[in-house]
Amino acid sequence: MDRRLSHSETIGLGALGLMSFIGLWAAISGFGLVPEQFLPTPIAVIGRFIDLFREPFAGFTLQQHLSSSLMRYLYGLLLAAVIGIPLGLAMGWFRTLDDVVTPIFEGLRFIAPIAWVPFAALWFGTGIGGPIMIIFAGAFPPCLINAYRGARFVEPRLIEAARMLGTGHRRMLMEILFPASLPSVMAGVRVAAGLGWQSLVGAELIVASAGVGFMMVQAQASVQTPTVMAGMIAIGITGLLIDIALRQGESLLRHRLGAD
Amino acid sequence: MGLRRFLIGFATLSALASLWYGATSVTGLVSSGRFPSPIETYTAFQQIAWRGYAGGTLPAHALHSIRLVAMGFAVAVATGVPLGLLMGSSRKAEALINPVFLLIRPIPPLAWIPLAILWLGLGDAAKIMVIWFAAFVPAVINTFSGVRSIEHPVIEAARMLGTPPWRFVVEVVAPAASPMIFTGLRLSLQASWTTLVAAELVGALFGLGRVLNLAQQDIYPGMILVGMIAVALCGWMTTRFLAFGEARALAWRHFEAKPAR
Amino acid sequence: MAAIRFDKVQKYFGRGEKRMHALSNINLEIEDREFLAIVGPSGCGKTTCLRLVAGFDAASEGSVSVAGKPVMKPGPDRAVVFQQFALFPWKTVRGNIDLGLRNKAMGFEEREKRIADVLKLMNLETYADAFPHQLSGGMQQRVAIARAYVLDPEVLLMDEPFGALDAQTRVVMQEELVRLARVQPRTVLFITHAVEEAVYLADRIAVMTRRPGRIKELVDVKSVRDAEKWNRFERIEDVMDLDSFVHLRTGIWRSLREEKNG
Repeated sequence: MDRRLSHSETIGLGALGLMSFIGLWAAISGFGLVPEQFLPTPIAVIGRFIDLFREPFAGFTLQQHLSSSLMRYLYGLLLAAVIGIPLGLAMGWFRTLDDVVTPIFEGLRFIAPIAWVPFAALWFGTGIGGPIMIIFAGAFPPCLINAYRGARFVEPRLIEAARMLGTGHRRMLMEILFPASLPSVMAGVRVAAGLGWQSLVGAELIVASAGVGFMMVQAQASVQTPTVMAGMIAIGITGLLIDIALRQGESLLRHRLGAD
Repeated sequence: MGLRRFLIGFATLSALASLWYGATSVTGLVSSGRFPSPIETYTAFQQIAWRGYAGGTLPAHALHSIRLVAMGFAVAVATGVPLGLLMGSSRKAEALINPVFLLIRPIPPLAWIPLAILWLGLGDAAKIMVIWFAAFVPAVINTFSGVRSIEHPVIEAARMLGTPPWRFVVEVVAPAASPMIFTGLRLSLQASWTTLVAAELVGALFGLGRVLNLAQQDIYPGMILVGMIAVALCGWMTTRFLAFGEARALAWRHFEAKPAR
Repeated sequence: MAAIRFDKVQKYFGRGEKRMHALSNINLEIEDREFLAIVGPSGCGKTTCLRLVAGFDAASEGSVSVAGKPVMKPGPDRAVVFQQFALFPWKTVRGNIDLGLRNKAMGFEEREKRIADVLKLMNLETYADAFPHQLSGGMQQRVAIARAYVLDPEVLLMDEPFGALDAQTRVVMQEELVRLARVQPRTVLFITHAVEEAVYLADRIAVMTRRPGRIKELVDVKSVRDAEKWNRFERIEDVMDLDSFVHLRTGIWRSLREEKNG
């Protein structure tokens, strides 16, 4: 639209925006314009964030809550990938399988992962199975869809070459379709990771006995606003780190395959 | 080819329906405490549809939820799209706002629920706030992308014609970016529903999420299933509505937009 | 017995109103160890002929057979070299060549030996562990040829294999192919739209008409090559300078021009 900004202009304006935001926040809370429980000062929140690493809240410290959350998250994500990716690839290759699974999938897709929580609560109580199921519901579709698309849209010449070489089904899936669709699969895993993280948070707000979401709900019930906001920060940072790590992995893989 | 797909799909769904019926009612493989049989589901549906459950009938709950989604979605669009247009059109605005946006963005919308409840209680206002937040982010991002991917010659032509800023945004930029804006709106709507159901599950007095929550506490699987189906149907309906609006707004496109999968 | 046989082959694509008649009454016999090139205008169906032998498509009427057996599906007995190379980018050169051998359930030692032999034959020894994207176009096509050769196929099918290469590399590869054909002769079906390439490489040339494609004429190059002793020359430009070469080439050009204008 308009001209590009210089490096210093970008940084300067960025800092200005950030400072204004934090300053506004500090001003509203610091000058007592709203009650303390409503909006604690930025300093109070940061302070609480740091404290939670030492002082337990709702039974555990922040890092314990986080590791509990992360464990469930990784299980759910792994399950989604281990089932979704091979199934998606197979669906991309065997047309009949595609015809059978797709109607089921399309029907279930409209149900938001979070809507499975009541059944999860009924079946697993506050056990680890509940959150894992919700995370799976959120992370499974992108894994499946991206693997499927990857396999379906492989360059036809490569498939023909593999067939010409007499490649059987199993080898076709493992050595041809899977590597060829790796970029798509990785993008799918990244999206799945994001959706899975969101589903985790939702699940923990309702059916957990540990974890960051649980911590936040407890804090909300006892009107401990700084803890709630500290939890939000922890969730945000963790989600960001996961995404950055996956992006790095993805670009490393692209580089190795020489796809760029 | 299409017929084959249809037949196989039909056969699969029929097989599943029989499996459902068989596993629950006939053999009792799956006990009724775990998953409802077709009959139990229908009974629950009858109850909530005519007699009421959790304080109201199904249409009442559904309408309540749809209203909240619509309101949150509308506010998100009314705030998000203009912001996206602004950030897309002005690099200064982008530089100013981006850091704050990047700070807020990683926080999942659902993580705002406890804070919203603290601020606004268990009523409708808190739900709308969280929905607004969930729908806001995709709207901004996609609008921004849409503006940035407008071909330069179009922009240059508008400038050459001496278009003043306001008209420039409304008559040139917004329409040109509208395909991507609508992609963002579809994502916003999905996020709205997810957030609403979650928020109502955490704590609500009325609505489909409340139905689900109470059904779970009452250990009433039939009602849970009815609730889930209702959520899916409402989500599907609102999505169709949006798609209709999109088709009208994008009627000037001469090729078919690929259906989202 | 003919190595490749087209018997009253018709090929249609599409249905109803959009039906397109690609090949019309193709009758052709390619002898064992014969190098036959098909030339013709764009869209005449020459690639379709190759795909029928390869098994990627099936004839609408008539039959296509290799060594007496009708063609059913693709396989390593009819190895294909594609214009766009079609190498697997995530496998090394060795890995690309190895796949076909592993599909034949060949033992490790046998495979290693065959791969070493073909790498030597195609001058690829130093690149055995490189990835395709690290190689030039010409080298990638060498790998594709190696991958096909190592299978010891009944017939070799080459679909405009040098079309994606630059002019100089193309010439080098043509000379390579002639050398290969002398060292390890095979039945080859070669598709090209470059007449000179066909005259230089082939024993016989089939000239095809415009769509729907028929075989307009069969030109015997081998007898001319043997009589004029083209093989005494190493370099392509020396052969292309000969009157006999020019005469053949021009004849085919004229034939093709009729197709363009007719």
